[in-house]
Amino acid sequence: MSAILKGKKGEQRLLMGNEAIARGALEAGVQVVAGYPGTPSSDIIENLSRVAKDRNMYVEWSVNEKVAAEVAAAGSLAGLRSMCTMKMNGVHVASDFLLHLALSGTRGGMVLVACDDPNAHSSQHEGEMRHFAQMLEIPLLEPGNFQDAKDLIKWAYELSEELRSIIFIRSTTRLSHASGQVILNELPQTERKAVFSYNGFILDQMTGSVITLPIFFKHPQLQEKIKKAEQRFESCPFNSYTGPENPEVLILTSSACNLYSIEAVHLLGLQSRVGILKLATTWPLPKGLIRKHLQKVGLVLVVEEVLPFLEENLKVLAYEMASEIGIKRILGKRDGILPGFGEMSPSLVAGALAKITGAKLDQRPEEYEKKVAERVFFGAPARDWTFCPGCPHRATLWSIENVLQMDHRQGFVCGDVGCYTMGLSPINFGTLKTAHAMGSGTGLAGGFGKLEQFGMEQPVFSVCGDSTFFHSGIPALANAVHHGANMIMVILDNSGTAMTGFQPHPGIEKNAMGDIAKAIDIAKVCEAIGAKVRISDPFEVEKTQEILFQLLEEKGTRVLILKQVCALSPEKKGVKKFEMIVDAKRCLGEECGCNRLCTRIFHCPGLVWDKETKKARIDPILCAGCGVCASICPAKAIQKTPATSGKKEAA
Amino acid sequence: MQVFGPNELAADVLNKDLCIGCGACTQMCPYLKSYKGKTSMLFSCTRQQGRCHAYCPKAEVDLDELSNFLFGKAYEGSPLGSYEKVMISKAGPKMISGNFQAGGTVSALMTRALQKGQIDAAVLTDWKGLFPIPKLVTRPEDVVPCASSKYLTSPTVSMLNKAQELNYKRLGIVGTPCQLTAVAKIRTNPLKREDFKDTVGLTVGLFCTWTLDARNLVKYLSARGDVEKIKKLDIPPPPSEILIVTTADDEIKIPLSEIRPMIPHSCSICPDMTAEWADVSVGVLEGRPGWNTLIIRTEKGAKLIADAEKSGFLITDRMPKESFEHLLTAAGNKKVRAFRQALKEGCINNADNGHAALRVNPAVIKGMRIEPEEDHVGHT
Ligand SMILES: Cc1cc2nc3c(=O)[nH]c(=O)nc-3n(C[C@H](O)[C@H](O)[C@H](O)COP(=O)(O)OP(=O)(O)OC[C@H]3O[C@@H](n4cnc5c(N)ncnc54)[C@H](O)[C@@H]3O)c2cc1C
Ligand code: SF4
Ligand code: SF4
Ligand code: SF4
Repeated sequence: MSAILKGKKGEQRLLMGNEAIARGALEAGVQVVAGYPGTPSSDIIENLSRVAKDRNMYVEWSVNEKVAAEVAAAGSLAGLRSMCTMKMNGVHVASDFLLHLALSGTRGGMVLVACDDPNAHSSQHEGEMRHFAQMLEIPLLEPGNFQDAKDLIKWAYELSEELRSIIFIRSTTRLSHASGQVILNELPQTERKAVFSYNGFILDQMTGSVITLPIFFKHPQLQEKIKKAEQRFESCPFNSYTGPENPEVLILTSSACNLYSIEAVHLLGLQSRVGILKLATTWPLPKGLIRKHLQKVGLVLVVEEVLPFLEENLKVLAYEMASEIGIKRILGKRDGILPGFGEMSPSLVAGALAKITGAKLDQRPEEYEKKVAERVFFGAPARDWTFCPGCPHRATLWSIENVLQMDHRQGFVCGDVGCYTMGLSPINFGTLKTAHAMGSGTGLAGGFGKLEQFGMEQPVFSVCGDSTFFHSGIPALANAVHHGANMIMVILDNSGTAMTGFQPHPGIEKNAMGDIAKAIDIAKVCEAIGAKVRISDPFEVEKTQEILFQLLEEKGTRVLILKQVCALSPEKKGVKKFEMIVDAKRCLGEECGCNRLCTRIFHCPGLVWDKETKKARIDPILCAGCGVCASICPAKAIQKTPATSGKKEAA
Repeated sequence: MQVFGPNELAADVLNKDLCIGCGACTQMCPYLKSYKGKTSMLFSCTRQQGRCHAYCPKAEVDLDELSNFLFGKAYEGSPLGSYEKVMISKAGPKMISGNFQAGGTVSALMTRALQKGQIDAAVLTDWKGLFPIPKLVTRPEDVVPCASSKYLTSPTVSMLNKAQELNYKRLGIVGTPCQLTAVAKIRTNPLKREDFKDTVGLTVGLFCTWTLDARNLVKYLSARGDVEKIKKLDIPPPPSEILIVTTADDEIKIPLSEIRPMIPHSCSICPDMTAEWADVSVGVLEGRPGWNTLIIRTEKGAKLIADAEKSGFLITDRMPKESFEHLLTAAGNKKVRAFRQALKEGCINNADNGHAALRVNPAVIKGMRIEPEEDHVGHT
């Protein structure tokens, strides 16, 4: 049985934040779940999909976040409780639909869980999402600890059904991916039947058509909902205050920053001087609660990630209340006492508190700090931003880089979102020259491909993963084909959403719940759109390069699909296709004109430069047996033979 | 000769638009490759010294050293370089006919040299679609199909590098002055390798005033329609001022004024019109269609000519005086222009650890009385 199904009411378990959210969804009786993978949000659906059968739920990995929101909304409109999940970028993708859904309203409870990634641990930006709640005019909740991560979900569903509005729940990496003790509640047995009613009066939320019009009715109605939400927020059990009756300083915080604040206050021993108001309801802010706490204090420190969202909203309220409660000093990011970027940490909060209160922050002795810095620098093994051994992307980028350089027209590649984004790094040949949102590589390339009229002669490529292709590569390709853009789209088909953990996508014959699904043929889609399509295996280096050279001779929108399963995929793991050796007689070592091409430039971790023999060598444990390096060694010293055992040597 | 590495080759030649695409730096390592007339460095290489730099005809070419090595005397800067004899020639009755550029002297000499075994293989230059590509030929009958001049940048020397790996011992090569400068550099064993063997058995030079950037010509032709294959390029003698491109079904005439912008920048610092580092050099004889100008420079060259004549592969004649004078003027002018341009660009005799394209005895330049630039550099 899956971990999140185990445990009875009252039992305490160690759950990861995302597991707590998933358990919360089960305890709330969620029936429909849809999302698009993206760290740090993916585990919510990963967990729910595993128990979908047991709990009679429908769980899917949707093609993109907008569609995920739509699928979840359908559940709600049919009267069921539904959830959609995504990482922060996804909210931008889904926002068009969400903007409408906010106005049209929901029926069964619907919750959007979006996870921010402050410090961009697994992202290409750290843009935060809370402002969307304000823009879309939907209530925003932020769990401030692991227990809340679970319990807030059920509360959110009740609120959603009271307001008939979608509720936005925001988590962050440190909450989603860290673990804490959580007391469980029971799993409900009631199951709702799905019916979509539409015959009622047009303005009736539960029985009429579900539309955003007329605006003069719907928009004020939406704002009434927000007012109601604010009233409910005043007594929300997940807002809590800890600290002295009349603190010198009030910390206003939410999400994982609550945990940092608690730690910082303890670190400085300021429990009797500083109070913490943990807010779960961060938009709209509950005015009464805020007034109650502001009255008692002169100075507020707002601790949050990433932008000063709470701080700015608090300042608006404080201004409005100033005539009653006096002028308060509110510190945070705008004055610079805390940074407006990156993650918070206990020491950052403690530093700010020390500055404000004059409390002594026990700095670690300088000598100690120096030693730590040295140890980290010299002691920690250096890790390159490199691809795994046997990764198809290395072979792909190698071929593209070789061909582009030989072509000598300053051609370039627009990158996209996936493991292959690492092609930006010089260690992976620096082949990619742009990287933005999902599908943007092809959109950009299509734009570059229309600049011939202004003298642009450089060949333009885009690279696009298979999952990204379905997510948002298709419209970009259609646009390029329709407008006759001169570009080559290289689709890196590694059979899964590899970067986030092999979630299936529409090109795969399996869905999130493990059922057989109809796989959509990428090549046929491209052909139907009107692109010339070529297919190759990136491990066949020579053939792939030959095709790339041919494609460079042609005009229009061209597609090359490079099919090779990810080196880490469950279906491949441990199976070597080739036994590899370096023939020491052929490897000329440091004398060779290749100047260690294999280990200095090609850089597969499976190849090592033996310091003693001064020759290349295969590391049999790391080598995945893909055979690619055999075709890059000019001395033909790296040799492959079909593997007999088929098993990777045990580490 | 100063020898540096790939980084210097990139900085001093490739990135300065001085590369002529001869291919001398390719076919030896995975970093430098030639594709469609252009030489590219695919990845950065960190070697301090390399054959790539050592062989390049646009990097640290010490004219005195080459002259001493091949002719046992210093470089004088005379218009035609060191030579024994200048005459005129054409293919003899023993030679089959072919698509010769002029008199077919070059094809005749290579055919004969292969037939006699004076060389065991010949590096020639053929077409591949619209681009010249080098070809290694071992049978005498395979020489004629490579006839005619490709007035385009060509990586001909890359084949010499490749052929050396294939263990040929007496290679013949036909090349332009820059290509044969690379060959001469190769033969001096610039890296002073102990296991070095000179595998070059014969060098036949082609006169050259300038060439065209292969890609630019192809682009020009493609813009005019579908051209898949070039059969012949011809630049009839003045005053015609055109380039004739013969294709399978067409003859395209392009005014030289449109052609000139396609001349690689690198040709403007090239002081050699008559392939001074060859055993024999061959050009087009003006005023007498179907004949070549022939310069014999070495004993090896003289022997080959004598044998070709005797065996009926070649017919020779005396060179008319006015043709000879015209040749001297043209070659001398090119030299003056090139040194002047090199001085202007600061890539000659650079002192203080500077990197030069050319090194020449300053007295030679002084003797040429190179006036400060005023006349525009014109190609004829
Ligand atoms: C780029 C270039 C510029 C020239 N400029 C002049 C000039 O200004 N004045 C002048 O008198 N003569 C010039 N020539 C030489 C001339 O065109 C003839 O090649 C020469 O007269 C020999 O004629 P042929 O009939 O004996 O040649 P053929 O018997 O037709 O043989 C020609 C030979 O040249 C070789 N060849 C053709 N193109 C190239 C190339 N790009 N690189 C290396 N080898 C090649 C072929 O392999 C072939 O063996 C030039 C040649 C070239 C390639
Ligand atoms: S075969 Fe070569 S390229 Fe492939 S994993 Fe092994 S070492 Fe790396
Ligand atoms: S050797 Fe030839 S191809 Fe290489 S850089 Fe020099 S001129 Fe260019
Ligand atoms: S002019 Fe000189 S550099 Fe240019 S192609 Fe002729 S020989 Fe080579």
